[in-house]
Amino acid sequence: MKDEEIDDVLTRAARSAHDPNPETLRRVADSIRPSLRPVRPLPPTWIIASGLLLVCSVVSMAGAAHAGFFGFEKMDLLERSLVFSVLAVLLWVSGAAFVHEMIPGRRRRLSAGALLALSSAVLLGVFAFLFRDYHVDHFVPVGLACLLTGLLYAVPAALLSWLLLWRGFALNPVSAGLAAGALGGLAGVAMLELHCPNFEAAHLLVWHTAVVPLSAALGALVAWILRFRRASGSR
Amino acid sequence: MHPDSDLETLMALYQQGDFTAAAALIDRIGPRLHRFFTAQSASRADADDLLQDTWLRIHRVRHTWRPGEPALPWFYAIARHVRVDHYRKSMRTMAGARELEAVSASAASNPGDFTRTDDLDALLAPLSESQREVVAMLKVAGMSLEEVARATSSTVGAVKQKAHRAYEKLRKTTNAMGPRGGRSGLP
Repeated sequence: MKDEEIDDVLTRAARSAHDPNPETLRRVADSIRPSLRPVRPLPPTWIIASGLLLVCSVVSMAGAAHAGFFGFEKMDLLERSLVFSVLAVLLWVSGAAFVHEMIPGRRRRLSAGALLALSSAVLLGVFAFLFRDYHVDHFVPVGLACLLTGLLYAVPAALLSWLLLWRGFALNPVSAGLAAGALGGLAGVAMLELHCPNFEAAHLLVWHTAVVPLSAALGALVAWILRFRRASGSR
Repeated sequence: MHPDSDLETLMALYQQGDFTAAAALIDRIGPRLHRFFTAQSASRADADDLLQDTWLRIHRVRHTWRPGEPALPWFYAIARHVRVDHYRKSMRTMAGARELEAVSASAASNPGDFTRTDDLDALLAPLSESQREVVAMLKVAGMSLEEVARATSSTVGAVKQKAHRAYEKLRKTTNAMGPRGGRSGLP
């Protein structure tokens, strides 16, 4: 059988499929009528992504202002410009990806998982390139403190980003949770880079970078729980 | 004027709170979405429920459509997620899981059932979920590759590949059926 013949069979079968009862369509129209109010379409992606970048910058700056800008003060010009420009680009790209996760029917450029892998890989590359102190002092206790601090600021950044776009979920909330978590995680890393004066390569590569995947996993988990509870509640 | 307007114009009016435009959209898109659901194993009653749920979700997130963007992939992207949510929900209940198992077992054991009926569901039974979805969008809804790629958050290349594999499977199934295909008008 040729493709054209399969096309023909499918077209005939589609034509013979039942249409919905007109009563069903009328019921659908009636159900939306009471809440039919004008809505403003979402602004362009670059505006929302810039807003998200601003939110994340404010959260990380506020965190560093509270804890001290020790890391920023210790960095030289090259380190400052490279680390923070890369973080700004990653935050903007993550913001745009997060917006895309919220808009149905968008052309997909980067999935939430790919974004997470890309962000982690770029951070690892930048840290490995800039910081060559291979000493390891109090690796786990100091690292855990940084990880928790990073996550502490990742959570409000992700929540604020989520709230900025929260006007109804049309698509996969787990992907959106992953993207929001990754975005918050980057804000957490930005806060750590401003604050943490520990420039040991292993510390940065493991504990600072880990904030991004952990925060993303947390975001996906929260979204999954919310979806599960909503589904259970509506049964 | 509304019934003849294109989907994008109707969608813009819907966002402005125009009920006539919303009703015209429901009349235009409703039957297509209903066929999309029935093409994916939904019974008529289930398709009615899915259609209702899809419109409630469309209504809730109507601000996410932007003027200048194609409206059709936007509708189908929402519809496919509503269907996936329903599928997950039904999988969570044991009874639902058993029912689905029985449906898929019967489809797998007798993939050539469409030779006895013109039913689209039986015709697409040998295909996987994602292949069935792509074929339903391309052939039942008449969407372009680009529109399907947008609706499924995928790429045009991936859609082409899925459609190609689906056709390969359909071709194998129909060839395996041999002359019996003639009974339902299959060449």
